[in-house]
Amino acid sequence: MTFGGGLLLLFVLLFISLAHGQANVSVHAVLEALFARADKLEHHIVWEMRLPRAVMAMLAGSALAVAGVLLQTITRNPLASAGTFGINAGAYFIVVLAAVFLPALKSEMPLLLAFVGGACAAGMAYVLAGGKRSTPVRMALAGMIVTLVLSSFTSAMQLLFENETNGLFLWGSGSLIQDNWKGVQHGWVWIIAGLVIAVLMTRALDMLELSEETAQALGQRVDRMRIVALLVAVLLAAATVSVVGPIGFVGLIAPHLIRLMGFHRHRLLIPGSALWGANVLLLADIVSQMFRSTIGELPAGVVTAILGAPWLIWLALRSSREEAAAVGGSSSMSIGMLHNRLPYPVLLFLAVSVLALCSIGSLLWGSTRIPFTEWMAVLTGQGENVLLQLRMPRVAVAILAGAALAVAGATIQGAVRNPLADPSIIGVTSGAGVGALLWITVIPSASAAFIPLASMAGAVLSAVVVYALAWRKGLHPTILILIGIAVTAVNSAIIHFLVIQSGMSAAPALAWLAGSTYAREWGEVNMLLAFLVILLPAAWLLGKKVDLLAFGDQTSMGLGLKLQRTRIYAAGIGVMLAAAAVSAVGTIGFIGLLAPHAARMAVGHNHRRLVLLSAVLGAIMLVIADVIGRVALAPKQIPAGLIVALIGTPYLLMLMFRSRMRRF
Amino acid sequence: MKTFVKPYLLLMILSLVLVTAACGTAANNGDNHGAASNSQAGHEDGHPASQDDVSPGDEEQLDEPITIEHAMGTETIDTYPKKVVVLEWSLAENMLALGVQPVGVADMEGYKNWVGAGEFDASVIDVGTRQEPDLEAIAALEPDLIFAVDFRVAHSYEQLDRIAPTIVFGSEFEENLRDPYHYMEETFYTMAQVLGKTEKAEEVMAHLEGAFENASQALKDAGRDGAPFVISQAWTNQNAAVMRLFTTNSMGSQLLEKIGLHNAFESDVFQPNGFETASVERLADVQDANFFYIAQDDDNPFENQLKDNAVWNGLNFVKENRYYALGGDMWLFGGPLSSERVVEKAVELLTQ
Repeated sequence: MTFGGGLLLLFVLLFISLAHGQANVSVHAVLEALFARADKLEHHIVWEMRLPRAVMAMLAGSALAVAGVLLQTITRNPLASAGTFGINAGAYFIVVLAAVFLPALKSEMPLLLAFVGGACAAGMAYVLAGGKRSTPVRMALAGMIVTLVLSSFTSAMQLLFENETNGLFLWGSGSLIQDNWKGVQHGWVWIIAGLVIAVLMTRALDMLELSEETAQALGQRVDRMRIVALLVAVLLAAATVSVVGPIGFVGLIAPHLIRLMGFHRHRLLIPGSALWGANVLLLADIVSQMFRSTIGELPAGVVTAILGAPWLIWLALRSSREEAAAVGGSSSMSIGMLHNRLPYPVLLFLAVSVLALCSIGSLLWGSTRIPFTEWMAVLTGQGENVLLQLRMPRVAVAILAGAALAVAGATIQGAVRNPLADPSIIGVTSGAGVGALLWITVIPSASAAFIPLASMAGAVLSAVVVYALAWRKGLHPTILILIGIAVTAVNSAIIHFLVIQSGMSAAPALAWLAGSTYAREWGEVNMLLAFLVILLPAAWLLGKKVDLLAFGDQTSMGLGLKLQRTRIYAAGIGVMLAAAAVSAVGTIGFIGLLAPHAARMAVGHNHRRLVLLSAVLGAIMLVIADVIGRVALAPKQIPAGLIVALIGTPYLLMLMFRSRMRRF
Repeated sequence: MKTFVKPYLLLMILSLVLVTAACGTAANNGDNHGAASNSQAGHEDGHPASQDDVSPGDEEQLDEPITIEHAMGTETIDTYPKKVVVLEWSLAENMLALGVQPVGVADMEGYKNWVGAGEFDASVIDVGTRQEPDLEAIAALEPDLIFAVDFRVAHSYEQLDRIAPTIVFGSEFEENLRDPYHYMEETFYTMAQVLGKTEKAEEVMAHLEGAFENASQALKDAGRDGAPFVISQAWTNQNAAVMRLFTTNSMGSQLLEKIGLHNAFESDVFQPNGFETASVERLADVQDANFFYIAQDDDNPFENQLKDNAVWNGLNFVKENRYYALGGDMWLFGGPLSSERVVEKAVELLTQ
């Protein structure tokens, strides 16, 4: 059934995909083309465009599915796949980078580029997650963070080089369009080789699924096996990405479908996954071709994300029992401390002073110099200065949004007891994006003034969905984050769908999504201020209770703390603050991750202190990012979101690396 | 003691934030009038030297102020502006057609590569990307007027308008999406009116009409009038050819129809942007037409990716050698200068 039915389905789908396309080719002509090819345009279309496309879809589907099996086995992580490990994002990032800076290299060796990018991203995710000692969720989170970093880079590149990267927006979610057999010729050797090696490795892979001690006792060189399997997985993913772009979720859907049917031995799991991976992607491609608009087809990856996200949620809910046991101590909030700690008041005073200096410096420094005399005139209230009126609201928005994002990160991390949680990971940020785009596309004539409101509604709704789904599992932190990841995937699929269906040029949408402090006004300042004035003290007051959450469920329960309520309050504050920030400055990631980390290193787990110090550090980060974005390439503006990613990535890597070293 | 420290510091942060905001709000209150009156003052008694640098309008002071209702508000012009900043290529081209050099243009390098009509003086300043032009750089130019299009400035209009009166053109209005040539004419005349160059504008448009007439006569002489065409803009996406095939509600198509050619491409649904994005397969339906394309030299799918492609080579217009490269710097979303270039190039290719 699994194999026979799968094969039959594959033939049906193959035929459907050959019979549908942009030109009208009758079923009869397709059959004629297949069995008696003549020198006719219709036959050429079937043979040179539709067949390579379908074959590429099948190859890519198999490759991604098998890469998923390999990654799941070697990391013993049901959530592993080329998408969740950041491999796709890494490969895509390098290709976009090359498209802008080294176009010749990009067209000559896309596979090599993609392989290097994918391998680096996988390495980054692995180190971030804490290497071998990571738990499945930590690994998935790390992959998600790598994906976030790289995709914010990628979208900033697309924004800065609008014309050069025009087509790449759609490729960002995978495009299977083929004009000839070159894509297949380019990829099939590597994909088939990868598949064959995977099949040859089935016995060894079965061993890897046993406990490590058993495997070693059986004489397997476990580590070497792991590395070979990992390289094969990266090869399969890179070969796919270099031809069709990053397509997610196939590696999650197909293997688990086969496992559900009761196949656990790799001898059948690998061929089965390959077959069903091909089916899934072929189906997704047929569906995606139905949604064509003025700016092109719906990417196949959008369809797989919508198919796959519910799977991820289901997997998360199902694997919660094992996860709950494993999580215990390992997801504790400890991430390293500075050895020579300054007293907290001194620290906070220093931080506030730095913020003040940065803010003043940021007002003084811009792409245009403001003469000192004008400054004096403004300060003594005698003059007006257009430059200052442009710069001041920007700086104020940066301070407030930075603080809001940082506090949001700190409270959400406290609520879900995981130092990697972040507004962008639990779906808030992408929800805001959906809200804003819905507003722009459904009511195109509506005022842009309501975009913040729409995005806030989207953010809150998204968070409510995540919480409602996690409710049944008692809001278990792990489950919550996984569902957040799935909802984020659905949201970004919806964003793509809206962009395609509305036929809007991608640039304005991308500009908003990249996160920017450009042209911000006093309206945004006042809105952020209102949120902070109410929610910052609330977060501070809640701090003591959040401290107790860190002890773990049993202990906190013993202390008489009403866990759920505290978690909901804390997360509620975080979501509201993040929503306010996102609605003001778009999707700026990382600050919610970086600022609380830095603060935690200095003040430990006291949440009251953490909240205040995070706020100041977050403000400093965004003010610096804003001024660099204004000045570095002036008159070209760099979105603050990209600068934050640029500053943040090395810092995050260092933090993670340190915390890993310490644990050894 | 310790418990007093924390609220104190909290207050400090809040007050810092409040002070910053208060400064700004105070400055903000007077600013709408302030900026406007500033720019006028600067104009009337300000920089006489710089007035000689830019080509002045036909008149100085208007007898009756002109009121322009534009996409995002109303603007009253009582003196012809001297220093103009333009934030979209088509509008920059219109300025050049009117013989007025702007003081600032967004993305001049891109203009050169993609539009290529007319030349800017060396003194013209690049003010950044069309997407997020540098507001400070614009303000530093102390412009009298800014020209922009709606979808670029949805978020920044208010700040731009504070720097200088800003006129926004509604490129995304329904009627303009249906008739982009008319939108171009209207935009051109509005800009001319504001700049005091209406006569020049009429001259330019008459010249363009003349070019259309010459073109259609040349086509008739060559027996090519009424010939079917498809016009497209092409590039590669991951080594596959991607094409914008322009529908009748696009500038490129309207221009070629004006000179007596016939657009053979039809989309199944109304395409608001005036084109459908498609793959080579889509060309099977229009293979009897003459195929015009715009592609950059370094990204030309027809000369590279499709050269040996059986589908491409099986299309009638390829077999009969009726496909024509218009060049990379032909802008199908431009003004009168671009229009003339497109028409002349197309006729040259068809009649050679």
